[in-house]
Amino acid sequence: MKVQYINPFISAAFQVLEMVLGSKPAKGTLSMRPSIFTSQQCNIITGVTGKVEGQVIYGMSLITADKIASHMLGQPVRTFDQLAASAIAELGNMVTGNAATLLAEAGFPCNITPPTIVRGTNVKMTTLDIPALVVPLCTDFGEIEITVSLQES
Amino acid sequence: MAKKILIADDALFMRVTLKNILEKNGYQVVGEASNGLESLELYQKTKPDLVTMDITMPEMDGITAVRELKKIDPQANIIMCTAMGQKQMVLEAVSAGAKDFIVKPFQPDKVLEAVQKIIGA
Repeated sequence: MKVQYINPFISAAFQVLEMVLGSKPAKGTLSMRPSIFTSQQCNIITGVTGKVEGQVIYGMSLITADKIASHMLGQPVRTFDQLAASAIAELGNMVTGNAATLLAEAGFPCNITPPTIVRGTNVKMTTLDIPALVVPLCTDFGEIEITVSLQES
Repeated sequence: MAKKILIADDALFMRVTLKNILEKNGYQVVGEASNGLESLELYQKTKPDLVTMDITMPEMDGITAVRELKKIDPQANIIMCTAMGQKQMVLEAVSAGAKDFIVKPFQPDKVLEAVQKIIGA
């Protein structure tokens, strides 16, 4: 897991979040994930394939997910239904897609897979043999953690 | 008569968003496909004036769907609307037959401009 793989995701997240949420996020400190970690309550898991492969996970609290979904849908989310889930998933899709473009420009052409959402409390995750780096981004709606677990294929 | 548009995107949120933008501006959304394969079926059923096509979709991706749609109707008007904006992807889409390429996230005006350029208001 190289730091150069995470930079495109930070750049893409800044770009996408500013456009979708209306304000620039603030970047927190990059750190290494332990091999098994407790994820956030709402996680968008996106896959990357090609010259680099692995997963990128966008994690946030349920409250943040509701706030972001409400903003994206232009109306309050009363129950986190398929439409709200789809909005959040699309946010992850857009960041990973834009990051894939930056990775390609840096010499790592790759593709992305459709996103999956995992919600719950005390969910344990492991990216197995591919170490993961995590960077928190602070937005007006709450914190979004980006966990990047990629290796050169 | 309102121009007819078919939306192909696996994300419900994106289908709803695009439908709202297009219908508020006088277009009629005649179908919503959640993957490339479904877009082929709906295209033949609804005969739209234009298709908006995502790339990353299950069952059949958008670029393959463009190639297949062009076999069904060489005159098909297709605009790619996707988070994947790398040069190679754009080239592939255009060479498959897409007439324009919009990268998500997008401003509504960008979509309308692209649609109007091809099929008018």
